[in-house]
Order: sequence, then structure tokens, then C-alpha cells
Amino acid sequence: MPPSPPKLALRDIRKSFASASGPVRVLDGLSFDIFEGDFVSIIGPSGCGKTTIFNIVAGLVAADGGTLSYEGRLVAGLRGRVGYMMQKDLLLPWRTVLGNVVLGLELRGVERTVAREKAHHYLELYGLGGFENAYPGTLSGGMRQRAALIRTLITDPDILLLDEPFSALDYQTRLYLEGVLMEAVAAFNKTVILVTHDVDEAVALSRRVVVLNRRPTTVKAIHEIDIGEHSPIGARSDPKFSGYFKSLCNELEIQTGGRQA
Amino acid sequence: MIRRLAREFDTAIGRAAIQLGLVVILLAAWETGVRSGLVSGFLLGQPSGIARNFWRQLADGALFYDTWVTLYESILGFFIGTVAGSILGLGLWYSRFVARTVEPLIVAFNSVPKIAFAPIVILWFGTGLSSKVALAISLTAIVALIAAYQAAKDADPDLLSLLLTLGATKNQIFFKVVIPSSLPGIIATFRINVGFGLVGAVVGEFISSQRGLGHMIFTASSFYDLDTVWLGLFTLMGIGFVLYFVIDLIERRVLPWKLDPHRAELHV
Repeated sequence: MPPSPPKLALRDIRKSFASASGPVRVLDGLSFDIFEGDFVSIIGPSGCGKTTIFNIVAGLVAADGGTLSYEGRLVAGLRGRVGYMMQKDLLLPWRTVLGNVVLGLELRGVERTVAREKAHHYLELYGLGGFENAYPGTLSGGMRQRAALIRTLITDPDILLLDEPFSALDYQTRLYLEGVLMEAVAAFNKTVILVTHDVDEAVALSRRVVVLNRRPTTVKAIHEIDIGEHSPIGARSDPKFSGYFKSLCNELEIQTGGRQA
Repeated sequence: MIRRLAREFDTAIGRAAIQLGLVVILLAAWETGVRSGLVSGFLLGQPSGIARNFWRQLADGALFYDTWVTLYESILGFFIGTVAGSILGLGLWYSRFVARTVEPLIVAFNSVPKIAFAPIVILWFGTGLSSKVALAISLTAIVALIAAYQAAKDADPDLLSLLLTLGATKNQIFFKVVIPSSLPGIIATFRINVGFGLVGAVVGEFISSQRGLGHMIFTASSFYDLDTVWLGLFTLMGIGFVLYFVIDLIERRVLPWKLDPHRAELHV
């Protein structure tokens, strides 16, 4: 673990949602740290509030209790400083690829020509050159998600929040985009939090994996992943991969009550 | 049989030929029915009489003038009502409080058949152009308002979240997501409202007017001049038809992203 103080610290985060049968406790005192340049995956049973964690970090939803501190200062949320990517590409269908990619820059008031030039550069870099004027509706799922990734990276966010961004894609496209992501993260030295239900993806990409309990959710365990190779295929071929994979599966299987064992 | 017809004729030209054929058959049956005395030409009119009327009114310019008056009233009413209604409806997105407060009032107003306002509208605005326009506005504005508000409410919350994480202000979200994502819904109401604009104009003319297709129909029917009544009705049909395609054209222009060149046609 890096010795520096955490970039982002969640302490005792609590959140309940109202439902017909009274309030449902989703997050029940959740704490973990994210360090500069970290790549942390969050895995856990479905419905354990992974997306809620993101919404709190992104400042879309207020926590009921607990604190969030960013670079040592208490903050309400990181609105405007995070890059959020979901399973849905969330491209604006009425904008062309170029129009979508410049969205974040446009919102910050970056001059139009500057923004477009930067967008062209990124689109070339990530293999979408020539598709600037295409509408998202005419692109494949993989290309749309690539455009969404570019839109996320171009604003140079402090932290990338990735909520199962590749889970709707076929395996080949997924490996490819994981590779694109890892290169971009290395090139721009990004800090990443990835929510996934895919243990395989968590092991291949991250340095640490946070395992959550069932609702009401707390952190069950944090696993350090020490695989030097960070390309998606390289990591999956690493001799240590299967060991991590197995221990994380065990960790999750205990929570499924052995029904699947 | 329809299946066989579809195999032979399912092209643009083939369908147009069938459509034209149906109209010709209907008119021919009507004409021969009247000529043979099977049906009363006095109560039903007669295609040849309608045609004669058409040529006469075309020659002396009366048809053109009446059409122009009605078209002008309805388009003006449609335009003002739809634009104002849409802007108000979109604006309600800004405040849930205001929207919830005025919603029952809007529903209440919408529950009144707007045609029932016609007599007072004539009282207030006189028998000229403005009363017809006002009636057309009252019909179209509410439809546009309700549709625009609904469309704004239906904007994808995930897109709103995305914009928030990118640090967008409420105004930015409104102009960059809410308005564009509401446009298809708003333009869809144009189709309905074009018709309502015509209803407003014609009803206004029925009640009190000097010109217009509604005036022409109303006066002709009081003289049992069925041929002229039909001429007015067919002209109104023609106007509605043309306006529908104009809206279609606008839709293609404003929503190019809605055109999907790869849309697969599913044959069931």
C-alpha cells in the first residue's frame, strides 16, 4: 500500500432508501481509501449498493451519515471532478460523436475550436477518427462505449468512476476496451474506481479489490492484487491470476450461502 | 387475397395506384348512384357538381381567397399556441413545486371542450381574424403545454446524472439535455395541433365570419348547396393533408438523428 495519505477516504458512510415497507438500509458504515494512481475494484452481491457508493462519491446523492474526504479535506461530493462511466454509454443521441466527446469541455466553457481540436486528437488516438460526424445510433456498442470513454477522459477528471462499463459488450470488444482503458490510465496517470460483478475483470485490472457484504453493506475484505502485468490478456495469463481469482470467488461464494457450491 | 395484392403492388407506385383507384371507384359509385336516382343528389351532392363548383370558384378566385383566410388563421393560431405552450411546458421542468401546483389547474382547463369558449371568444375578440386565431390558440396551447411538460419530465435521469457529474449547471442541463430530448415529443404534437388549429379557425368561422372555408361551408349548407359544402370539406382535407407532410418534413430536418438508415424491417 502506498505510504502517502489517501486521495479519497470514505469513512463510515451510511445510506438508507425509503421503500413501501419502511426504510431500507443500503450502506451501513462503509469505509475504504483510494490512493493517488490507485486502481480499485468494488465487487459484491447484486443489490449491495455499489452504484449508490458511486452516486455519493460523484455528489449526486447525499449520504445519511459518515464523511467523504478528498485530498485531506472534507467534501460533500466530487461533482465536476469525476469522470463517470456506466454500462449505458449515455451518449446524447442527438449529438454526433464529436459533439458528444466535447460535451464536458463545452460545459466548462472551453473555447469551441480548442475543444474540437482536442476532441479530434483523442478520437484519432483511440481509433474513432473518421466517425466524428456519425450519430451514436449508427455505431456498434463497442464503438459507442469507446466514444463514452473518450468523453470521460477528455475532461481530465481526477478520479474515474466506472460502473460496469464493459459488461454489456461481447468478450472480444471487452478485452479490447479494457486494454484501451489500461493504456489511458497509465498514460494520464489516472485514479480509477471500478464497480464490477465480474471477478475476472476485477483481478485482471486492479491493484486492490474491495469485497462488499450483502445489504446492509459494509466492507468485507480488501484484497491486494500483485500482478505486474496490467494488459488485460497478460494479466489473465499471469501465473498468480488464478490464485487471486479463486480466493475472491471463495469470498463471494461464502456470501451466496453455498447454494452454488 | 390481400397477401397476393401485397406481393404485386407493395411499392410506392403500386400503393399510389391502389389509393387512386379506391378514390375513383368511390366517386364513380357516388356519381352513378345520384344519376340513376338511387340516392338523393339534393341531400348528398354530386361529384360532377362539386367539380363544376370547384372550377367556377377557382376561376373567380373565391376558393383561393377563402382557403387563404382559413389557412392564415389556423397556421397563425397553431404557431402561437404551439410555441407558447411548448415553452411554458418545458419551463415547468425548472420547478417541481410550480409544476405540481399548476398541474390540476391545467387539467381542469383542458377538461373544458375548448369549442365551448367560442361564443365568448367572439364576444371578446370580435368577428374578424383575431377571434379565430384566439380559438386556435386555446385549442393548441394546452396540448403543446402538456406534451412538452411530459417530454421534459421523461428526459433520461441517467443523462441528467452524467451532466451533473460533469459539473453542469441547471441551465446547461435544460438547454443541452432537456430541450433536445423533448423535441421528438413536442414535434409529435405538431401533427395533432395542425388539425386543432384548423378546428379553431373553422369553428370560429361557423359562429361568425365574413370569409373562410368555414364560412363557405356554413352558408352553403343553409342554402342546401351540398356541392359547395363538399368543396369546402375537400379543400379542408387537402389543407390538413399538406400540412401533415410539411410537419413530416420539419421533423426530418430538425431530428436528423432520428433517421435510422439501418433500421431493419420486420415482416410479421
